[in-house]
Amino acid sequence: MRTVIGEPVARTDGETKVRGEAVYSVDHAEPGMLHAKLLRSPVPAGVIRKLDVARAAGMPGVRAVATADDAPDCIGGWILKDQRLFAKDVVRFEGEPIAAVAADTLEEAKAALVAIELEIEPTPVVGDIESALAKNAPLVHPDWQSYEPNGPADHPRYGNVAGEMIADPDPEAVAAAFAQAALIVEDEYRAPRQYQAYLEPKSALARYENGRYIVHTAHQYPFNVRDRVAQLLGVRPSDVRVIGHHIGGGFGAKLDAALEPYAALLARLTGRPVKLVNDRVEDLLTCTCRENAIVRIRTALAADGRILGRELECLMDNGAYSGEMPVLTSVPLHVLGQVYRPGATRIVSKLVYTHTAPTGAFRGVGGLYLYFAIERHMDHCARELGLDRREFRLQNLLSDGDTVLNGQVLEDAGILREAFDRIEEVAPWAKVTKRKTTADGKLRGVGLVAATWLTNPMPGSVTLKLNEDGTVGLVTAATDNGSGAVTMGVTQIVAAELGIRPDDVVLLMPDTDSAAYDSGSQGSRTTHIVGRAAAKAATEVRQRILEVASELLEAASTDLELADGQVRVKGDPHSGVPLETVALTATFKTGPITGTGSYATPLPDFNPACASGLLFPVFPTPSYHVHFAEVEVDPVTGQVAVVRYIVAQEVGKAINPDGVRGQIQGGVAQGLGYALYENIQIRDGRYGERTLEQYRLPLAVDVPNVEFVLLEHPEPQGPYGARGVAEPPIVPVAAAVGNAVSDAIGRPLNRLPITPDDVLAALGRVGPSTPAH
Amino acid sequence: VELTMTVNGVPRTLEVRPHATLLSVLREDLGLTGTKEGCDEGECGACTVLVNGEAVDSCLQAALAVSGSDVRTVEGLARSGAALAPLQRAFVDAGGVQCGFCTPGFLMTLAAFLEENPTPTDDEIREAIAGNICRCTGYSQIVEAVLASSGGAR
Repeated sequence: MRTVIGEPVARTDGETKVRGEAVYSVDHAEPGMLHAKLLRSPVPAGVIRKLDVARAAGMPGVRAVATADDAPDCIGGWILKDQRLFAKDVVRFEGEPIAAVAADTLEEAKAALVAIELEIEPTPVVGDIESALAKNAPLVHPDWQSYEPNGPADHPRYGNVAGEMIADPDPEAVAAAFAQAALIVEDEYRAPRQYQAYLEPKSALARYENGRYIVHTAHQYPFNVRDRVAQLLGVRPSDVRVIGHHIGGGFGAKLDAALEPYAALLARLTGRPVKLVNDRVEDLLTCTCRENAIVRIRTALAADGRILGRELECLMDNGAYSGEMPVLTSVPLHVLGQVYRPGATRIVSKLVYTHTAPTGAFRGVGGLYLYFAIERHMDHCARELGLDRREFRLQNLLSDGDTVLNGQVLEDAGILREAFDRIEEVAPWAKVTKRKTTADGKLRGVGLVAATWLTNPMPGSVTLKLNEDGTVGLVTAATDNGSGAVTMGVTQIVAAELGIRPDDVVLLMPDTDSAAYDSGSQGSRTTHIVGRAAAKAATEVRQRILEVASELLEAASTDLELADGQVRVKGDPHSGVPLETVALTATFKTGPITGTGSYATPLPDFNPACASGLLFPVFPTPSYHVHFAEVEVDPVTGQVAVVRYIVAQEVGKAINPDGVRGQIQGGVAQGLGYALYENIQIRDGRYGERTLEQYRLPLAVDVPNVEFVLLEHPEPQGPYGARGVAEPPIVPVAAAVGNAVSDAIGRPLNRLPITPDDVLAALGRVGPSTPAH
Repeated sequence: VELTMTVNGVPRTLEVRPHATLLSVLREDLGLTGTKEGCDEGECGACTVLVNGEAVDSCLQAALAVSGSDVRTVEGLARSGAALAPLQRAFVDAGGVQCGFCTPGFLMTLAAFLEENPTPTDDEIREAIAGNICRCTGYSQIVEAVLASSGGAR
């Protein structure tokens, strides 16, 4: 029987998207709908001295003006409850919502915003990580002690430190490693904020009906929106219904609620549907960007190249409120130990409040700057030791069955070595490191790096219903953020299990009222987790189909197979009965055929005592990656061209090779942006870049065709062996490019992004436009 | 103010605000939401439409200035329910669509480009779409879709 698993099947929403028919959140409208706008803080820090909305409330077309006084007295947050819907008394970042207006037209709403009388007395700005940690720094949250966790247990935090993870299980061993080291290498690395820059700005439309909030939004995690709206408006989660739409990109920034609670509150106050859409400037200014960070690493080395011990300090900018961030303080523990044996280790990570927009998840989270730091540092260590960079890596590489820093056993870490070997086949190291300049005087360099990444383990669910015409309805709150995880991966799994065409799988948009809980499109989890749930649901449906067909065909169900939309006797393609007949028979005889499956990855064993503040204890279902970058640097202009890029990635099983390729090519493109172009420069809490003109994104002329090698070691828990695929291709890119550019110019570049000015400054060609580093 | 133009082959006359952009008229007055607003500053290309065959950023285009013009949007590439245009088909088949929010703008930019250069090279395609931002795909499968639909085999 032909299967659609492993086939380059087109995504099922492709046609509606190229026709311009697909309804995104910004396209959704309802009769009688009002338009809303938010009044946002013009300053990063201050005390609200006056907030008078009386004049605005009387403006033409205005239906409601809301401030903290109109919102329920609630404080919320994903991990730590440290944020209110509207700023109350003080503002903590530029762009923080202070008031909201709903009016008949957008122009009237905007006019009313201007009429709100607002006076803010600026207060000292805690603008960056180092000033937040300075002695006697003003506290961003003087009331931090009163905040409660949004879960059973609080985590370590104090003053401007919103979260802290310390892994220091054997301080004496670390001291001994550094005492006996032949060589100690120490570096500091810095990375900026990165804006997700999805093409569809955030938006929401809400209605208040029969005592419930109905919220339309294009969102990666509808159930998280439901929970946050409920938390901030003081109702039960089931009093909120979230309905999903096509998502114009998210990349992690649409995992927590943003505009939805404001639209919901205004809908209740006005009794009308209310639509709220960010313009691009406010979207950029308030988006939960990847956090800017400082990473310091110190390594104790034996003369033969063994790593004896490591110390790592990671300082992460939380912005003014915490969102998901406290969980991500655990990431350094996983990244430091999951590729190279680190020896005796001490890791400290701190999440620091500043008067800037809250940071949050972006594809690959902290992995990008952590691997940049570790792999830049690996090159530095090799150079100090006089060893070849590749050999030094292989010497310290993990192998099958190694136990990593959290006590987790990586049974198949030997795949890392295989990935290095596969890159070697297409880009032999001895050859690619030989050419140092091009014919036209460009400087050539290469980088070779490795990474291990996780597949998010959180739960998901699928319900399937066999329609009377033989098509299959797929009901899930899993979201397709564009990756194809649902419209390719999960759809293909359902089609394969039931022997139907992917086009005959009818997908319902996510709806928290109709579908069971799903943990959102994050951490490459959807194909792996929801795909497995779908396979379970399909098994139930298949069983019922076989029972009914067995009567119709007068054959034992064990002799039957599902293929080409039919049930037939194995090996006899002409014996079939269409699924439509089976469905009709079942529906009106014994009732419709449905099936349900749920799944969450059982967490692997780990050592809870390995660290304090460990909110994210394991990296389950690992995938393994080796990336190679080759660059040409123009020594006159400082321009960097990435001329060759190769990815070797362990995927378990490529359910859809075109889909996998799209994730690799797209992930590398975003990684190149982070490595070379994208930057938000913050001065005194204010963003320097505020538009897509100022924030430089990779364009078609910047991105090479990425070569890739897929490794397929089936992961026993995954559907058809699939591991998470989509998130990790971005993770090692800045590391590979950083090493390649540093190799090309023979000078270390330890700060992202690597701009032409940085290159020229490192070459000593012109004065640096930014401080030397 | 009254505005008359042809949209996807159909003559339209409607009342618009004097400063309305072509984008807002298409999306809000005519309900043609296939054309997207990504930045409202002419930077991302998601709002690209054809005015008398030329690709323009409809977010920067005053609606009244296109009075009497022939405007084409993504909805005009293939009639609803009819077969896709070759370029649309190629986008779907080559994996040139992920989230799809930028797709209408790419399709319109490329529709104008392919009129002028029916058999472009890889580099020429990349130059042609350098004013359109795609955050998902990394562009390769978009370029391949154009090559496939224009018969320019790789």
